[in-house]
Amino acid sequence: MVFFDRNFKEIFISQLVSITGGLIVGTILASYTDKLLLIPGMLILLPGFLEMRGNISGSLASRLSSGLFLKVINPRRVNSRIIKGNVLASLFLAIFISFMLGILACVFTYIFSHVYYPKIILVPVIAGIIANMIEIPLTIFFTLFFFRKGHDPNNIMGPFVTSTGDVTSVLSLLLVLFII
Amino acid sequence: MNNNHNHKIRISRRHLRIIQGLKRHKAHPLLHHLHKKHKISRKTLFYIKEYGPHTHVSKTIIRESIKILLLASVISSFGGMALESIKAAFIAIMPLVILLPVLNDMIGDYGTIISSRFSTMLHEGKINSHIFSNKEIRKLFAEIFLVAMTTTFLSCVASLIISAKHAFSWITSLKVFLIAFADVAILVSLLFMVAIIAGLYLYKKKEDPNNFLIPITTSIADFGNMIILTLLVILVF
Repeated sequence: MVFFDRNFKEIFISQLVSITGGLIVGTILASYTDKLLLIPGMLILLPGFLEMRGNISGSLASRLSSGLFLKVINPRRVNSRIIKGNVLASLFLAIFISFMLGILACVFTYIFSHVYYPKIILVPVIAGIIANMIEIPLTIFFTLFFFRKGHDPNNIMGPFVTSTGDVTSVLSLLLVLFII
Repeated sequence: MNNNHNHKIRISRRHLRIIQGLKRHKAHPLLHHLHKKHKISRKTLFYIKEYGPHTHVSKTIIRESIKILLLASVISSFGGMALESIKAAFIAIMPLVILLPVLNDMIGDYGTIISSRFSTMLHEGKINSHIFSNKEIRKLFAEIFLVAMTTTFLSCVASLIISAKHAFSWITSLKVFLIAFADVAILVSLLFMVAIIAGLYLYKKKEDPNNFLIPITTSIADFGNMIILTLLVILVF
């Protein structure tokens, strides 16, 4: 059985990209433990917040890729109805899901640790808005860019949005905690 | 000839407008007719039904995505609760804090890869009744396991180098390696079992495993990672 074939190399290289992004995020978390992780409920909020970013941006990239391949979206025209609709939907979903994550973190922290910290509801909402302002244009730009260059965005955007999404999410959370 | 061409175009646009008015779950014979007669691909027709002119793009996306996103958030929050319960012990071990997002991303990716590769094997007819003696399945498991162990090793080395200034003992470093390897090994094996059992079940029910396996395995990966990490930290430290 041949192990080190093309499949193995492709999986290995994409995982190296993914773990690089994860290590950057992990280093930021470790450096700002007092600001981030010591906040009540932050460890309840954090996994869901990071995953939400990847889900929303990944789905956005995937829908745009489908539209590009089906020639329903013009890669040189950003101001189209479908792209605008996708942006609005992604923004709404990010704010709504961030709010729900904040509620869950607040409720679970109160029930299990008897600590009432309502600010944890506001933190992901503001951080979600900031992260979206960066991540949505980045996702649209690179999906259209890779398509124009002749690549299949479906193969590239997955690890890309996961890694960049994690970094922007953690930096946004930090920024909000510094402000609040 | 020009009249015939214009007539064909008028028919296509009128029919496309009818398609946009269809309910999402309805499969109208018009779709089959347009696909056969005017050579419009089924995927284009589906995309037009969902996102064409006179549809509300953002409303469609929100309606279809919100439930699964909410479910994923709730599952992740439960996983986060497990970590919150051992917060003091967890954040004291800096390499583990660095490894948390790495392991989350890695295991989620493996869930996606296993699900999509197994679904493809099912569609290609490469899966027979003797699952565990199937050469393709064994090769896939070996590939994923080898990549997983290699990337886990590299991640652990990187996390220990990054946290080097905090001077952990070699025993603590070994425990970090043990936790990471055990976590990844258990989850990769679990994801494989889930993908095989659920994939075969869905395929027998004439469903496309691609639509269900990825959300199932990524949810298990996220939730399972937190729970297993919590248990291993309690056991080892």
